[in-house]
Amino acid sequence: MSEPKRLLIIDDDPDFVAGIKAILVKAKYEVDTAYNPKDGLAALKSKDYDLLLLDIMMGRGAEGIMIARKLGKDPKLRQLPVLIITGIREQMAFLFPGQAVHPHFVDVDELVEKPVEPKLLLQKVEALLKTAADRKAKSK
Amino acid sequence: MRVPHRDNILVIDDEEVVLDSCTQVLAGPECRVLTANNGAEGLRMIEQSPPDLVFLDLKMPGLSGLEVLARIRARHPLLVVIVITGYATVSSAVEAMKQGAFDFLPKPFTPEELRLITQRGLAHHRLQQQAAALRREKEMLRENFAAIVSHELKAPLGAIQQNLYALTADLEDKLSDSQKEICQRLKTRLDDLLQLVHSWLRVFAVDINKLKDSFQPVRLPDLIGKAVESVQPHATRKAITIQTVLADNLPRVQGEPGSLTEVLVNLLNNAVKYSFPDSKITVRAEAQGTDVVVAVADTGVGIAKEDLPYLFQDFGRGRSQPAGVAGCGLGLAISRRIVEVHGGSIAVESEPGKGSTFTVRLPAVSAPAANPGPNPERKV
Repeated sequence: MSEPKRLLIIDDDPDFVAGIKAILVKAKYEVDTAYNPKDGLAALKSKDYDLLLLDIMMGRGAEGIMIARKLGKDPKLRQLPVLIITGIREQMAFLFPGQAVHPHFVDVDELVEKPVEPKLLLQKVEALLKTAADRKAKSK
Repeated sequence: MRVPHRDNILVIDDEEVVLDSCTQVLAGPECRVLTANNGAEGLRMIEQSPPDLVFLDLKMPGLSGLEVLARIRARHPLLVVIVITGYATVSSAVEAMKQGAFDFLPKPFTPEELRLITQRGLAHHRLQQQAAALRREKEMLRENFAAIVSHELKAPLGAIQQNLYALTADLEDKLSDSQKEICQRLKTRLDDLLQLVHSWLRVFAVDINKLKDSFQPVRLPDLIGKAVESVQPHATRKAITIQTVLADNLPRVQGEPGSLTEVLVNLLNNAVKYSFPDSKITVRAEAQGTDVVVAVADTGVGIAKEDLPYLFQDFGRGRSQPAGVAGCGLGLAISRRIVEVHGGSIAVESEPGKGSTFTVRLPAVSAPAANPGPNPERKV
């Protein structure tokens, strides 16, 4: 295979991040981590990533959504596929379980719930990378 | 020291002398007296700034006192109203109290009587304010509890589970079968724990009445189909057949499809859990009078008679559990709440060793089975 894909995880729980990162590294991805929205946004600006894994409930509230909104407004960053990893479905916003709400903050995004099984995680990551690559190829 | 709060008292009476004497007796540094000489004026003043206490004459030209009282009650149910009965007839005072007046003051009254009843009225007003504040606080606590539990308890559990996933994936080719089994056990128990936290949240922290906001006409056969589909894998594993018997032209019910499906899944899951292998579960739906009734019947272990009354209570798991059955005893409690929000009821009949039948009764949408259009009622 060509160069390894570069992923960024933004999540304020380092222990959880470690669990996600180990699975992705084992699958030969290059993984960077940021533990707060500020560092996360700085990383996104300083380096090119192929995919972002984003937590929603950080800090004092749904700070992950703020990041997603910022990405959606940036013409370049909105191309970046985002996998939202969150326990938000049980929050008050969604009264009862059912189909997870697909957020559509950026062009290509998906939602999985914490904790996420390795197989499902890798599946989603691959699928998102592929969708993003296809879109890129088409627009060219 | 308490910041001095000036009590505002509104007197509504068509007799100038009553307004003047009330003002004279009650007005002071801690009490402001406002007056209105007819009902319409009084209501307007209440709208502008609700007072702490209202004295209301029952016999006035124009809007009658009872009429004014009814309107105050409708707009400001917590406002304390004391009626003044000019003609000292007990019957009109009783009528006013029935309609929500706090007390009555017969004319003529002495300054002492007026002061006394005012003190009582204001004390009642303060109690009501405090009760309302406490209710608001309780509501906020409950809602915050949802956020706190979900983040503070679920986050560490999620992190543990995630690391366990990573660890077992990493060691996949190094672990012996018995070591893998241990990891599987860890995962299962963690999942149960996450599920339990989830159930707690549902029972204690979610305002179930909010479901009403998303009520819509619902076709129960669709939900039954979904529910059966979701428990089918468990049933297949135990070689249990699920049979569905649906009456033709089943009326719709008014409800929230997601939560009603959850009720059916809960009942079916229980039926599978407590059924003997190689048996049959029957789901029956039919109209009975103005209700639609769904019954889930199994031929399983049944429920001891002494356990039946506690079945739908929180954590009300029967004591005579078959070995190896896991559960926190919240499923039926949640189901009962959901059904009750829908204006329905849930009941159980059971005989130990023979099986149980759970019956959910929901009011049908009153409109006669409207033409279902291109998607006619079907038999499943």
